[in-house]
Amino acid sequence: MFNFVGKFFKLLNGDASPGQIALGFSFALFIGLTPFFSLHNLIIFFFVFAIRVNLGAFFLGSAVFALLAFGIDPLSIKVGEYLLNDPDLLSMWTELYQSDVWRAFKFNHTLLLGSVVISILLFIPMLFISRFIVSTYRVRIMKWFEKLKISKMLKASKFYKYYERLGE
Amino acid sequence: MIKWIRWSGLAGFVVVVALIAALWLLALGPLMKMAVEKYGSEAVGAQVNVEDISLGFNPLSLTVTGVQVADKNAPMENVVSFDTAVATLEAFPLLLGHIIVPDVTLSGVALGTQRSFSGELVVEAQEEEESKEETASTDEGSSNNSDSDSETAEAQEGDILPSSDEILARENLLTTQYGKDLEDSYKQHKQTIDTALANIPNEDALKNYETELNNILKGKFKNVEDFKQRKKEFDALNAKFKQDKLAIAELTKAVKESKTGLNQKWSKLKDAPAQDFANLKGKYKLDGAGATNLAALLFGDDVGGYAKTALEYYEIVSPLLSDDEAKAEMQELKDKRLEGRLVHFKSDNPLPEFWIKTLSFTMQLPELEQGTGSVGEVAVKVQDITNQQDVINAPMRLLATGKNLKNMDSLKITGVMDHRKSPSKDLFDLNLQGWQLTNVKLGLVGLKLVSSKASVTAKAVFTKGAMDVVGNGLFKQAKFDTKDTTFVAKEMNAALKNVNQFTVSTSANGELKSPNISLRSDLDKQLNSAFNKRIKQKQAELEADLKEKLNEQLLAYGGDYAEQLKELNLTEGSLKEKGKALEKLAKSEISTYEAQLKAEADAEKARAKAKIDAEKARMKADADAKKAEEKAKIDAEKARAKAKLKAEEDRKKKELEEKAKAKLKKLFG
Repeated sequence: MFNFVGKFFKLLNGDASPGQIALGFSFALFIGLTPFFSLHNLIIFFFVFAIRVNLGAFFLGSAVFALLAFGIDPLSIKVGEYLLNDPDLLSMWTELYQSDVWRAFKFNHTLLLGSVVISILLFIPMLFISRFIVSTYRVRIMKWFEKLKISKMLKASKFYKYYERLGE
Repeated sequence: MIKWIRWSGLAGFVVVVALIAALWLLALGPLMKMAVEKYGSEAVGAQVNVEDISLGFNPLSLTVTGVQVADKNAPMENVVSFDTAVATLEAFPLLLGHIIVPDVTLSGVALGTQRSFSGELVVEAQEEEESKEETASTDEGSSNNSDSDSETAEAQEGDILPSSDEILARENLLTTQYGKDLEDSYKQHKQTIDTALANIPNEDALKNYETELNNILKGKFKNVEDFKQRKKEFDALNAKFKQDKLAIAELTKAVKESKTGLNQKWSKLKDAPAQDFANLKGKYKLDGAGATNLAALLFGDDVGGYAKTALEYYEIVSPLLSDDEAKAEMQELKDKRLEGRLVHFKSDNPLPEFWIKTLSFTMQLPELEQGTGSVGEVAVKVQDITNQQDVINAPMRLLATGKNLKNMDSLKITGVMDHRKSPSKDLFDLNLQGWQLTNVKLGLVGLKLVSSKASVTAKAVFTKGAMDVVGNGLFKQAKFDTKDTTFVAKEMNAALKNVNQFTVSTSANGELKSPNISLRSDLDKQLNSAFNKRIKQKQAELEADLKEKLNEQLLAYGGDYAEQLKELNLTEGSLKEKGKALEKLAKSEISTYEAQLKAEADAEKARAKAKIDAEKARMKADADAKKAEEKAKIDAEKARAKAKLKAEEDRKKKELEEKAKAKLKKLFG
């Protein structure tokens, strides 16, 4: 747990740009919320490695969202069921179903489709919100926090040393 | 824009993905080889060996070389083998774990080739050894059967009709059934009777009882103590009587029940040979209409052999076409809501787990006689091989066409194996035209079909566990010959000289593992007149022999039991005697001492009274006798007077009549 929290604060206090961190969290939505061994995740990995996305944020976010997925899965399945059984969308799904490429993506799986849709819907909000939080933290909270006596005391404490060691 | 690209990351990603792909491709061949050998062996129950499986990329394809599928019944032979199989694969379905093969071409396909090593599965061999030990007795039985089978075959070669021994061994006889029934019943009753018999008194015991009872009752009671002692002894003896009476009653009941039961079974057994004989006579009736057995004897072995081989292949293939496990998994998937499910849509491009769209190969047909060479080739095309026919919504289709045929105009086999719905339905059609047959041994009195041109059509329908097969063969320009010089051979040869063409029809229906097979031929009809004489003679011999054998069986079962039943009757009689003896003893009672004195006085009184009564009776008898004598005298006197009076009246009447007649004469004279 310490390890986890330590990494998180290290990330927030580091030099990485808030935009890269936010992008890492946003891409992590797909890896965490959708079934891991899916073809679309190969594309996500391609983007994450090819674009300057903060990998720390990405892997940290993936772990957090994978935990959250246990609670979100029932909702994802409901969304997938709803979409795949929607009569208005039937022709579209049927058309996609004729293609081997699309079926390789398992778009007709309720959990997979639902969780991908939720990830797509949350992608932009996650990007902006996490960017805002990281920026705000660094501008206001981090500076204010460093000025506090207690923070100076903490820096001298064993906990801080441990926290520092984790960041190395 | 370029500053957003992380070149090192991109390179790393490409390297990792390429590495994984390379490993997968390298491992795929050996993994598939292992999978084919393992699951193939499990499916056919014998070793499936693959020399190599390699992958091609343009187009994506698999090349399988050196495949041998061993015959589980003859491990040193292959059911089928081929040199190479080239299969194209669809790439994207493969990513989903679906093996879709648009086309497979096999080369070097052969049936029944020899193996260089045994194809027996090791596990199966161990299990067989264990089962052999367990079923040693059964094996003995079956070896006896096989002995009798070989005897049967020999008998068939030498004679027209199956022997009586063969018929008796082949048929399920009522005599045997009822005989065993009686045997079991007798054993059961005997046990009951023996148990009851052990509890009853023997002759000596009965005599002892009598002696003891006489001792107790002998003489007068001397005093009260004497009476009490005797009374005590009497009560003890009485209790023993009662116990023995009960034992005898139980034994009597057991014997009665045994007698009734055994009598019923015995009478059934006595009637069984007659019933068996009637059944056998009907079944092996060898007149014109019932000559089907003759056709079966002529062609039965060959037809049976081919049918058996075909059924063995069918039994191997059929279960592979329906994927019950996959259906169960699908249902399970539907039940697991939280894991989500696959929603299927209408598609022109269905994706079952495994699907060979077209399999084609050419193979040599086997030679009919040694040294004559193959009769040609057959080009086989199989479409839609899958274990999920419901997904592709199409049955498996088979088309086999003869090519470069020798001594055959055309050969065509079509098949449709439909396992989309339960019960499954599989149809096969065979059409063989202009088949030139030469020197076909008919397995009877050295008879050969020297030459004939045959056309064969057959239709087979298999529904779950049951079959319905109908086949017809027309044999034209038939010429028969035999080198045998026996009476039958000569007669048959002479009759067959006039036969130019004949038909053979066969049908098999019922359960797949035990179908009812019948074989008919108009040859029987044609031969009927020629054979009638011979058959009648032979049938009479057979009937006599059968009767004798059935009676032997009856005696074998019934001989001992007739004696046993007599014994039971004797036992029953003896029991009755014993029962009566005990009854008599039990009626004997001992009275009290006072009662005995009173009884003696009463007896004296009775004796005196009897004497007086006797005297009275004698006197009364004398008086009655005297009275009767006097009455007789008076009656005799009365009778005499009456007779005299009547004689006087008659005389006077006569005189008056004569006087009247005389007067009338005077008047009219």
